[in-house]
Amino acid sequence: MENILSILVFFPLVAGLLGFLVDKNSIRVYGIAVASIEFILSLWLWMLFDTSNAGFQFVEMIPLVPDFGISYYVAVDGISLFIIIMATLMTLIGIIALNIEKNIKNLIITLLFLEVAMIGVFVSLDAIIFYLFWEFSLVPMLYIIGAWGGERRIYAAVKFFLYTFAGSLIMLIGMLYVAYVYHSVSGAWSFAITDWYALVLPFEVEKYLFWAFFIGFAIKVPMFPFHTWLPYAHGQAPTVGSVILAAVLLKMGTYGFVRFSLPMFPDASVAYIMPVAILALIMIIYTAMVAYAQEDMKQVIAYSSVSHMGVIIIGTFAMNAEGITGSIFLMLSHGIVSGALFLLVGSIYDRRHTKLMSEFGGLASVMPKYALIYGIMLMASVGLPLTIGFVGEYLSLVGFFKVSPTLTVLAGTSIILGAVYMLTLYKRTFFGPVTNDANKKLMDLDGKELTALVPLVAIVIWLGIYPKPVLVPIDNSVKALTSFMHEKAHTPKAKATILVSKTTREVK
Amino acid sequence: MENLVYIALFAPLVGSIFAAFYGMSPKNIITGIVTSALLFVSFVASAILLNHVMTVGPIHVRMMDWIMAGDMLIPFGFIVDQVSVTMMTMVTLISTIIHIYSNGYMEHDKGFNRFFSYLSLFVFSMLILVMSDNFLGLFIGWEGVGVCSWLLIGFWYHKPDVTRDINPSISPSWAANEAFIMNRIADLGMLVGIFLIYWNLGTLQYDEVFASVGPLENDLVFWIGITLFIGAMGKSAQFPLHTWLADAMEGPTPVSALIHAATMVTAGVYLVIRANPIYDLIPDVGYLIAVVGTFVAIFAASMALVNRDLKRIIAYSTLSQLGYMFAAAGLGAYWVALFHLVAHAFFKSLLFLGAGNVMHAMNDQLDIFKMGGLKKVMRWTYLYMGVASLTLAGIWPLAGFFSKDTILEVAFNEHTYGIWFILWITAGLTAFYSFRQVFLTFHGTQRYDDADAHPHEVQKYVLIALIPLATLAVIFGGFMDTFKTFTTTLLPAYEMSEHTHHIAWMLIAVTSAIAISGIIFAYLRYGKGLKRNEKLENSLPYRVLSNQYYIPILYDKVFSKPYASLSKFSWQVVDQRIVDATVDGIGGIIKSTGDNTRRMQTGNLSDYLKWMAAGALLLVAIAFLAFKLTQGAN
Amino acid sequence: MIGLSHYLILSAILFSIGLVGVLRRRNLLMLFFATEIMLNAANIAFAAISSHYNDLSGQMFAFFIVAVAASEVAVGLGLLIVLHKKYGTLDLDNFTVMKG
Repeated sequence: MENILSILVFFPLVAGLLGFLVDKNSIRVYGIAVASIEFILSLWLWMLFDTSNAGFQFVEMIPLVPDFGISYYVAVDGISLFIIIMATLMTLIGIIALNIEKNIKNLIITLLFLEVAMIGVFVSLDAIIFYLFWEFSLVPMLYIIGAWGGERRIYAAVKFFLYTFAGSLIMLIGMLYVAYVYHSVSGAWSFAITDWYALVLPFEVEKYLFWAFFIGFAIKVPMFPFHTWLPYAHGQAPTVGSVILAAVLLKMGTYGFVRFSLPMFPDASVAYIMPVAILALIMIIYTAMVAYAQEDMKQVIAYSSVSHMGVIIIGTFAMNAEGITGSIFLMLSHGIVSGALFLLVGSIYDRRHTKLMSEFGGLASVMPKYALIYGIMLMASVGLPLTIGFVGEYLSLVGFFKVSPTLTVLAGTSIILGAVYMLTLYKRTFFGPVTNDANKKLMDLDGKELTALVPLVAIVIWLGIYPKPVLVPIDNSVKALTSFMHEKAHTPKAKATILVSKTTREVK
Repeated sequence: MENLVYIALFAPLVGSIFAAFYGMSPKNIITGIVTSALLFVSFVASAILLNHVMTVGPIHVRMMDWIMAGDMLIPFGFIVDQVSVTMMTMVTLISTIIHIYSNGYMEHDKGFNRFFSYLSLFVFSMLILVMSDNFLGLFIGWEGVGVCSWLLIGFWYHKPDVTRDINPSISPSWAANEAFIMNRIADLGMLVGIFLIYWNLGTLQYDEVFASVGPLENDLVFWIGITLFIGAMGKSAQFPLHTWLADAMEGPTPVSALIHAATMVTAGVYLVIRANPIYDLIPDVGYLIAVVGTFVAIFAASMALVNRDLKRIIAYSTLSQLGYMFAAAGLGAYWVALFHLVAHAFFKSLLFLGAGNVMHAMNDQLDIFKMGGLKKVMRWTYLYMGVASLTLAGIWPLAGFFSKDTILEVAFNEHTYGIWFILWITAGLTAFYSFRQVFLTFHGTQRYDDADAHPHEVQKYVLIALIPLATLAVIFGGFMDTFKTFTTTLLPAYEMSEHTHHIAWMLIAVTSAIAISGIIFAYLRYGKGLKRNEKLENSLPYRVLSNQYYIPILYDKVFSKPYASLSKFSWQVVDQRIVDATVDGIGGIIKSTGDNTRRMQTGNLSDYLKWMAAGALLLVAIAFLAFKLTQGAN
Repeated sequence: MIGLSHYLILSAILFSIGLVGVLRRRNLLMLFFATEIMLNAANIAFAAISSHYNDLSGQMFAFFIVAVAASEVAVGLGLLIVLHKKYGTLDLDNFTVMKG
């Protein structure tokens, strides 16, 4: 399977176009089938993936505009592999759990197109192709929020689109400038990221490019103070939109840092650890507080996402294999856990048509299965050991501790503040007597919801106890990344900060 | 032998999962029987391991890899050595008895199956904690017991929040959250300790850490010691993180027994004992630990003096005894701390389970002012609680006498006379409050309404199950020398100086004297029944003590409320009015620019032509200026 | 002697007259006349400079402009007739369908 990546990218596109021909009543089955095949394909990719090879695999390169060095250039390594699998998984789960009747055909086709864009972003190694997929991912999401959203859906959708679009334009300027510099150094045009890696830039240039890329990624993550589109988008989006937004789309930002900023600008990345870390700290602490003040369950989880993304940023900028591996693992775990939490909020919203915590109370006695799964996801979200949430959070923090113990202690307050808002949410919703009559006859989770949620619970526990099959490939690629960065860095500070690890491991 | 390690560790987990399958169905006695039986299996395995460690030596097994990244590799590894096997045997023994007891206690509860699932999971977490061979494995258990305590304290989650004079509002779920969050605060400290160890020693395995910690800079060891102790403070409820322990009394009584005797609060002491090679390098931190412990000992005892809640009195006594353990460990007498830990576990679980019997008999009434005269109807429970209280008071020849007295001797031997004096006073207070509680509950006249309760003794098998605890509480002191030789093969042997040996009998006499006078004073005051003294109860010191030094209210006013309002401020003002308003403001500026310039678009051609002419003129002017300026430059 | 500057001044005057006409007149036909004046002002300037530098390309441009102006008038007048048929007037103030 030489071109499994192209199949992975374009299968949902073809299937989505064919979907227009499918009858409205069977579109749900069709969507589940397509998403399952895509998920199985991604698992197959994992099977074929050589876990001991830290470099790029399944490389495909077709020149598109040879004069400007633009080509269709895709490949995966340990860093992107699992994010792709998570994207296909969450799309599948999102479609299974879909509970919308209005225009369902359009919705499912849109989701398939969104899947194309998401996978495209994570496999692209050509900046132009990457940028195309990156921007293309906005359109389906704009449509999903704008067409199936809540009351203020238009405002939320437009804000989401314009905000992230403005950021990515700045990133585009950065990309064009890198290509220009590459041209003036080597005399040839190239937009291949691997070519750009080899480009050693003076610090003065790196500095500006770092911030140009930073703005594009930071808005996507979203980092404080660029985060305000997120609560609106989540608040208004339908459940499936929130699931995919939180699970996959936000990861594009943090993935961008690992794929572009770190290897291309190692010196600037090291030089600006402090400002970035301080923004991340504000994200962690401040949004945890904001989450605590929320009255709407979904907003709590939306703000908690921002808070957790802060820990991911901290891990990414740890500049050692422990932290970066941890941050990538945390991207996966946050995707699974926040996706599941949004699904859970969606379930209760379908029943009561409200997400206000004050409307609930005592749900644990009415809906025990729901309370159990919610409880497991809550514990994973606060980073309990032996759940998926702990591994990434612990590694991210341990990595950044090498850089700055003080800031790590502050970032570590996320384990306290996270417990505060999550447990408060759980207490207000699930504990106490059932006071509201409307809650007395609520149905517990049905078969469809359980089908969507139980696999996620299984993953949460499996990867919490035995993360090795996922951690080792990530770690191998990350070690290659850190040693490359160490080689490339030319300022003494960066040389000293970027750690190279000596250990190598294999998955047995 | 390896298999035995796994059996001892995983039997409770199997029981827990088994019971979990029945979690949502109505009561099924099989869950209680299976979990108790599996716990017993675990106990037998631990006992065999104890024998093995005694005769052969420690066992170290490595199950599988857990986390690996960079140069870090953390396995699931388990060590069964003198310290952990002692803990394992104690934990499984007490837990088995508590499981059996719970079969009777939870008989009519509709969450019966769920309860046993949680209970066994709790034991499993504690076993992970004590058996792990590295710090992160310990942390799994550390957080695991935190979650299980959350589940169990909040077991009766359906109860509403009740406003009380001493607390802002309290309910099982509130207390559960408080316990979890307080523990998390301390866990952060512990995590920082783990980070420090990793980045300075490159490993988290106990043996490697302890072997290489010596040459480390003293400052670093100091911080490692402090941060690990912060972790221990949360789990062992040391001041200022102590409030959760008394509030945890909202949970079912067997849970309180488990938390206090076996599975949770002792974890902090265990950590300090386990990390003794680190603390030996930093005597200053050890001294600090001893001071904190001593303070907590008297602080908690003073609150127990006036409390009217049967379970809270026992909870404060635990706090106080934990203070003793920390004092011993801090002064370097690790085996003494461990000995007191084990002895305390026996009599404290007995005390709690006895209190559970009383509570059951009294229809969940906990106010000892509303009891009295129960010894007629509950002879066995009276006997158990009497024995346990005598042990707690430290009367010869019961277990508590030996352990507590040795701690006092250690304090004397170290020439820390202040610590000795305070612990000595506390011994008197302990005797007084435990017998105040016994006399008020069992002696005197009946002070409850017959309509409220019909006290009766509990089931036979429950009473029989308590016999091992009572026996051990009585005779365990006799094993002190064996215990010492056994544990000091791993722990530093602490020897008293000649001088202390010389005057040991005097110390014993003084300590016994104050304990006995405490009991006598309690008898004079309460032996014949309750004589309330309004003036005393309204006096300031009494009110301060019965309000727990106003600390819960203080925490509410200083931390909870301001945090809530700061959060609200962050959301409504900072996030919405500043950050988001800025974004919307930028959007607004662009929009209004468009709105204003739209007027140019009149639709009238001649207006357009005017704009065009003006624009052309402007361009000419700019070109002219640019020309002039470049000319000037040249 | 009449020099280059005289021609250029004439051209500027004519252009200004045309510009004022474009800006002030309301009748579309008059606007057309005014633009023709401006075009011819440009032509004069082209021709004058061309002869001054002895470079024929200026005069070539002038012819080109004359040709373009002629075709423009042909199309433009046609459009005007259609407009007049449709609205019955050629007053600019009546045509504001593009108002923003």
